[in-house]
Amino acid sequence: MLKISHINTFIGRKKIIKDVSFQANPGSIVGLIGPNGAGKTTIMKTILGLTKFTGNISVEDKSVTENDHAALTRVGALIEHPAIYPFLTGLENLKLYSLDETDMNHVFSLLKMDSYINTKSKDYSMGMKQKLGIAIALLNKPQLIILDEPMNGLDIEATILIRQIIKQYAAQGSAFLISSHVLGELQKVMTNVLLITEGKIIVDQPIDEFNRVSHKQYRVLTEDMPTTEKLFAANQVPVTKSDEYLLIPRELSYQVQDLLYDHHIRLIELSPQGLNFEQTIVSLLEQQRRQNHEK
Amino acid sequence: MQKSLYREFYKFTHKKLTWFAPLLLLAFMGAFIAYPTARLLAMLTYDSGDVITVILVIVGSTMFSMEFQNHAILTLLYRSPRKLDVYFAKLITIFVYDIILHVIAIIFTLIVASTIKPVSWSAVYRYHQPLIVNMFSLVGVDLVTSMLIISLIFLISTIINSNAIVVTLSLAIVFFGEGISADLMNNNSPLASLAKWNPFNMYMATLQYGNYPEYHATTLLTNPQIITGALAYIMIFFVAGYLVFRKKRF
Repeated sequence: MLKISHINTFIGRKKIIKDVSFQANPGSIVGLIGPNGAGKTTIMKTILGLTKFTGNISVEDKSVTENDHAALTRVGALIEHPAIYPFLTGLENLKLYSLDETDMNHVFSLLKMDSYINTKSKDYSMGMKQKLGIAIALLNKPQLIILDEPMNGLDIEATILIRQIIKQYAAQGSAFLISSHVLGELQKVMTNVLLITEGKIIVDQPIDEFNRVSHKQYRVLTEDMPTTEKLFAANQVPVTKSDEYLLIPRELSYQVQDLLYDHHIRLIELSPQGLNFEQTIVSLLEQQRRQNHEK
Repeated sequence: MQKSLYREFYKFTHKKLTWFAPLLLLAFMGAFIAYPTARLLAMLTYDSGDVITVILVIVGSTMFSMEFQNHAILTLLYRSPRKLDVYFAKLITIFVYDIILHVIAIIFTLIVASTIKPVSWSAVYRYHQPLIVNMFSLVGVDLVTSMLIISLIFLISTIINSNAIVVTLSLAIVFFGEGISADLMNNNSPLASLAKWNPFNMYMATLQYGNYPEYHATTLLTNPQIITGALAYIMIFFVAGYLVFRKKRF
């Protein structure tokens, strides 16, 4: 469906996206996660041929370039803000892009917009505008749907509805690329995790695999925690504090045991600590930041 | 291209200003009915040129800036096969609107000239031609001048996102350009013969066609020269505008 290989995106002379490759298969929901300024929106804009880039992007085996968007005929997107014209009604906004009236009616009914579809969109609330933006992205039975922060401004009912619609379209074979800061919400729908920081992808895994490998940490409890903390710092052992414990990367558990033994610090507990999704993401980003800092 | 054109016309026909502006044009033209110079006013289609210019500046400048500001340009661009389609569709839309405004001006003039302020259309007036020929020729020249203004608006709009700045700058160039041009050519420099080809000079094409002796002394160009110059600048501004649009970061 969507294949991206070795893309680099530039803004001026600055490289924003660095050698990014990934793909989204039919029916997959790829969650694009990363801190602010990581390059999520830029990747989305690059796929839509809206930025200058090197590398290859193809949708349904057709190439996308900055000035040839023919491959994007079956792509729908909501980037940054809903692209709506305030002087048009919701229905008129949809008509601008719709190729099939039946499909258009189906989309706004699905999104439960019937009651205000004929109202000028300048009178819409933020959530209504967001739904209209999503409706535009869902028009014409797209095979690839790109949603940048789709849950912005949505109330709980609309959030649940959008989640159901995303799953429904994916079940029908559409591929999704979704970015969101609401990780809990994204976790409920995504089939693949794509973690990006500083323009580079650091995780590209199916969600099951990501959860299984789980990037577990070990928690350490000793008799003398202040000394332990200093010792870890002196030996560059990355730690995260969690209540009275120190969390260390799993791969350092043996090294830490030796270190404590050598310094005669009695170990009370060294046990695996399963992180939740959010903690895992934060931990991975911290690790990456440290690695970059060391370089 | 067809889809891009459909979208532009759809948006354009759903804007209130699109329908309100011709009424404004008629009101302004109507204000000139009382003036005694019936033949000159008939030739100038009741001085519709200036009002059409203001309308085109306001309508034209919102075509890009509004979409830059509300990010609708992103959807418009990725849903179009090429950026050129979006740019060209906007150009065609405003050009058609320009023609419609001129047609309205002609119809109004014909009605007034056959009822309230009768003139003899067959009487020889300027350039040893009948008045009717003068009027249609002047409308043709004004279409060229207005396209020059549109091309300038497109160029400025692609560089500057703010609608207010685009409108102000465009109006300033259109209405103060005459003075700037005169200053450029009255400096007695060796480059004065080249300065007559400055773009501001070309904005006087309509005025010069309506009053050749007075304006020729300012522009130092003949009518064919000024029209050729205007056409050349239209091409330059459109191509430059498209190149900026193509390279613009959205």
